[in-house]
Amino acid sequence: MTEPADVSEELLPFSFTGRAGEYFRIWIVSLCLSLLTLGIYSAWGKVRKRRYLNAHTRLAGSGFDYHAPPLAILRGRVVALALFGGIALAGQVLPIAQWGLFGLLLLLMPWIVVASARFNARNSTYRNIAFGFDGRIGEAARVFLGGGALALLTLGLAYPWYRARRARFIIAHHRYGVTSFATDLRAGGFVTIYVLAAAMIGGAFVVLALGAAAIATIVGDATRDLESSSLGYALVLGLYAWYVAVYAYVRARTFNLMANATIVGALRLRGTLRARRLAWLYLSNVIAVLGTLGIATAWATIRVARYRAASLAVRTHAPLESYVGDTRTLAGATGSEVGDLFNMDVSL
Amino acid sequence: MTALEGILYDGRSAAPHPVTVRIDGARIAIAGPGMDATLDRSDIEVDSPVPGVARRLRLPGGAEIETADHASVDAAWPGRSNLTRVAYWLESRNLMAVLALVVTAALAWFIVTAVLPLAAEPVARSIRPEAEQVLGEQTLRSLDATLAEPSELPPARRETIEREFASLVDDEPAGNHIDLQFRRMQTPNAFALPGRTIVLTDEMVAFVQNDDELMGVLAHEIGHMAGRHALRMVLQQSGIAVLIAVLAGDAAGITLLAVAAPIALLNARYSRAFELAADDHAYALLQRHGRPLQPFADLLRRLAENRHTADPNDPLLRYLNSHPDLDLRIHRTEAAARGP
Repeated sequence: MTEPADVSEELLPFSFTGRAGEYFRIWIVSLCLSLLTLGIYSAWGKVRKRRYLNAHTRLAGSGFDYHAPPLAILRGRVVALALFGGIALAGQVLPIAQWGLFGLLLLLMPWIVVASARFNARNSTYRNIAFGFDGRIGEAARVFLGGGALALLTLGLAYPWYRARRARFIIAHHRYGVTSFATDLRAGGFVTIYVLAAAMIGGAFVVLALGAAAIATIVGDATRDLESSSLGYALVLGLYAWYVAVYAYVRARTFNLMANATIVGALRLRGTLRARRLAWLYLSNVIAVLGTLGIATAWATIRVARYRAASLAVRTHAPLESYVGDTRTLAGATGSEVGDLFNMDVSL
Repeated sequence: MTALEGILYDGRSAAPHPVTVRIDGARIAIAGPGMDATLDRSDIEVDSPVPGVARRLRLPGGAEIETADHASVDAAWPGRSNLTRVAYWLESRNLMAVLALVVTAALAWFIVTAVLPLAAEPVARSIRPEAEQVLGEQTLRSLDATLAEPSELPPARRETIEREFASLVDDEPAGNHIDLQFRRMQTPNAFALPGRTIVLTDEMVAFVQNDDELMGVLAHEIGHMAGRHALRMVLQQSGIAVLIAVLAGDAAGITLLAVAAPIALLNARYSRAFELAADDHAYALLQRHGRPLQPFADLLRRLAENRHTADPNDPLLRYLNSHPDLDLRIHRTEAAARGP
């Protein structure tokens, strides 16, 4: 007996319902208390800001939740600070020790990647079902150190391939409850993105050189005064804006590429970020944040979160209700205290 | 008795179950389609509140009820008076947000103007001069590769300057380790590199009217070196970079310019303090050697006059721009020359 295949595909959009005014109050209180407590409060502030942003990122009527223990974040920050402080101090006492510690940091990187992915996944929930990350340190070492070395040795030619491998590692080892993520990400998409980005940067320099040559032939070097120096400033600002635009292009395209290749059981993500729109958001954010001496930071965060959520959706063949939580982790919540040292967020 | 509406997620499946929670003293009744449970209030754990974020009631066994009814939750579970309660109270009030903004701005200004300069000084002293010397040598090498040409001063002129310089620094700590370098750079300039190197340009030697003026310039650079200003400047700039990253690091895509622009703005402030400190050092040094201060003031005045007539593309103006508040410096130098 064959059941008719369920061809009905549902498109569920993400949305973001946070408001800049409300987030501003949380942000500024966090900042103020962090400065007053010499940074200690920043761990609590981070959790509160993240809880706000996650709760307002909504899918099918439910928000996401974040419940990392602030003490674990504080511990991670102390470790990171000690590591960097140690490197700086070692350089004073014995310069060779500094290189040794840099090497150690490089070797620790796979562990840092895995530990923080696990920490963030485990502490994020949707409808009271936790995400998880099961990547192994050994594989992380192969992907990040091996792949990274290859990208370096090929002078960046292998970089798109390395990027794809990195993304596959991170995506495929995530799970939602008992449902593992899967990905059909290929390096080809990254090749297109990075070749185009390199062409955009290279093209800007060609245009600049041609423009400079044209100006020189037309006006000669008679205008070597104020105008040429303000033209210089305009050029630098223009180049910076162009750089931000290319950055936004890479961000938008890689976001879509990775989202579209992410499969969770019967659903697949769909990213529709547009590079031009994101570039406008980034550039206007820079102007707003600089113009308000940083006060617009909260507003800038909310705008980007709103656009990112609006550009993400899931296509699903099965109702979201069918996803099942991992009851083993629920039962073992106290047991996980054993691995407490690994239970921290190292933000580098 | 109060009642609140919420959605129960059992933690086993992602299905939402609308429920009504009736709170009757310590007795909590949860009712919904196919669900009817009674619990003790103390069995239920409530999360700490964040403004605008739905509350979550954690039930024994891993289920969770999400509700937007902050008031009912707060009434039933008043909670301990702890840090997150204080944060919630602050975050819920516009007035407190404004207050936090004012306090943050004041603290940031205090850190930039007082804490960083104060902290950079002992840190700079704790860094070995050898480590700094490496940095200075690298800078000189890159200068030689780009802007600087070998000096074309006549050997006799050069020897006179070196002799006078040696007698000026004979009582400076580590004075005989100072390395005076001559270069041609199209600009009347003298500058102290990190470490123990002072660079003097042929154009500056030509610009001065006598050796007392020249020794004034060099004494000023020795002041920068003795105060380790180059290193302290770098340290203070790094401090600002960290501060900006903390203040505005949340917003995506802004960090690069957001760090560079304020550093450029605050540089002028730091640089002015270092210029005045280097001048003070120069006054003491020149006076110890029985050299007059007035020539140094004369030189500064001529540089200032040049500033008003100079073409914006004039290399001289670029030198002047690195020495702000020239009028103040002239005034101070002349006051010092008149004596106490």
